[in-house]
Amino acid sequence: MSNIDIKRISYLAKLKLPHEKEEFYANSLKDIIKWVDNLKKIDTSETEPLHNVTEKTVSIRKDEINKSNSVDDVLSNAPERAQNFFKVPKVVE
Amino acid sequence: MSDNWEMVIGLEVHAQLNTSSKLFSSSPNQFGSEPNENVNFIDSGMPGMLPVMNFACIEMAIKTGFALNFNINKYSVFERKNYFYPDLPQGYQISQFEFPILTEGFINIDNEGNQKKIRIERAHLEQDAGKSIHDIDPKFSFIDLNRVGTPLLEIVSYPDLSSAEEVVSYMSSLRQVLMYIDVCDGNMQEGSLRADVNLSVRKKGGELGTRCEIKNLNSFKFIRQAIEYEFNRQIDVIESGGRIEQNTMLFDTSTGETRAMRSKEFSHDYRYFPDPDLLPVNLTQDQIDKVKTSVGELPQAKLDKFIKDYNVDKDIAKIITVEKQNAILFEKMISETDIKPKFIAAWLVGDIFAFIKENNLEVSSLNEKTKEITDLLKLVSDDVISNKAGKEILPKVLNGQGKPSDIVKELGLEQVSDSGELEKIIDEALIGEEENISKFQGGSDRVLGYFVGKCLKATKGKGNPKLINKILLERLKN
Repeated sequence: MSNIDIKRISYLAKLKLPHEKEEFYANSLKDIIKWVDNLKKIDTSETEPLHNVTEKTVSIRKDEINKSNSVDDVLSNAPERAQNFFKVPKVVE
Repeated sequence: MSDNWEMVIGLEVHAQLNTSSKLFSSSPNQFGSEPNENVNFIDSGMPGMLPVMNFACIEMAIKTGFALNFNINKYSVFERKNYFYPDLPQGYQISQFEFPILTEGFINIDNEGNQKKIRIERAHLEQDAGKSIHDIDPKFSFIDLNRVGTPLLEIVSYPDLSSAEEVVSYMSSLRQVLMYIDVCDGNMQEGSLRADVNLSVRKKGGELGTRCEIKNLNSFKFIRQAIEYEFNRQIDVIESGGRIEQNTMLFDTSTGETRAMRSKEFSHDYRYFPDPDLLPVNLTQDQIDKVKTSVGELPQAKLDKFIKDYNVDKDIAKIITVEKQNAILFEKMISETDIKPKFIAAWLVGDIFAFIKENNLEVSSLNEKTKEITDLLKLVSDDVISNKAGKEILPKVLNGQGKPSDIVKELGLEQVSDSGELEKIIDEALIGEEENISKFQGGSDRVLGYFVGKCLKATKGKGNPKLINKILLERLKN
């Protein structure tokens, strides 16, 4: 089994892990992966990949506009708003 | 310096589909609305909201498939591309990854008169992200989610392009086709069509180099500038002993320079996986066939037809076929009159387009006026009025100031095409011109122009120049 790069995983998940907890979480993740790895014991060389367990196709709708809410509804959960914008800490690449 | 080097370029073009509503929500797909006006709870990534596929997007993808010679895949899968950014409230972009709807297409582009086939690896449907505005406040970014969920078709070419000119030609051909089949409005300024350029350099014929990707170019000018700059930058790095690092670059439109964008600390890892909210797309042959009939005539077919069947010069035919509207107007005029298409084409790209440009009109606005236009052109081609008079009247006709024949009468612009009358005028004009006549008979053709001018003046410009020419020649030769 591959090693867990806990720094990288927490970076991708945008989670800040205290240094002393890194090992704990790395080990927890290792256990989970070990358990999931049991699936590898099954021989799937003759099996077509399946993307969904139902045989159905994606549900579709007609190309029609339906405005179901107002700007205020959408912004009501914004941590901060400025006029009709969401206001967030500066992000520039 | 750059003589031994060549560039290898592949393009990722994002085309916004011109549907009424978004890819997975019923919010309006509309540019220029007030901030966050076109946002519902699906777009803003509220928990528990489920995406529902807008079938018009699938149909537009299929249409593009036919137009760009793609394999149209009956089976395709939407996956989640995971990354965090404030203008992506879901925390992932729904896109197609392993099983795109279109694979292995191509388009023929024109490069300095030669045709070149550019292979296209794939095209897939995905959601657009929102817009972040960084320059209002020094400490905060402002987020407008209107664009979130706008349907995009991402068209990924093979690295078959080898100059800025080819890239521009490819991009404009693509734009032309997408506009002809009515899946994208082609408005680059509004971002409806934008390109990521993947560029690497190598010694001529040598091994492929490491590529850099320049993001989000939305004008032909910027594409050209960015390619030139990046080409030279990469050569500089290599020639001064450095190595090109695979990087995502931003093009600074104010300086004309590219610079690395993403932090290099960690390479991106999008952790794609099939979106559990969306079942795979399973198309039937019937659904695909139904779209085929709506593809219509493509620009290349129109161009060939105009040149071969209508005898229009290649350069003029190209101008007409650049935009579908032009071609529609042209063909409508042809269908309504027996004037030679070539004659109509010359007027169209000349005075008619000039009028449209001067008055800031849509070409399609003239579709209602084709009868008046062809009536006027008929008067010119039948020599009832001169070419010059036709040009003079055209704006009046297009402004709806009356029927061409009435305007001609009103302004007294009818040509004198009565040969008896013209003969009289010509005979008078030749009196006292013995010297010039003998010059002409001695071989000086230039004198003819002088005589034509003199006769035209005598008719106050209304004499039919062709007829004057003919009678003059008869008179002078005897």
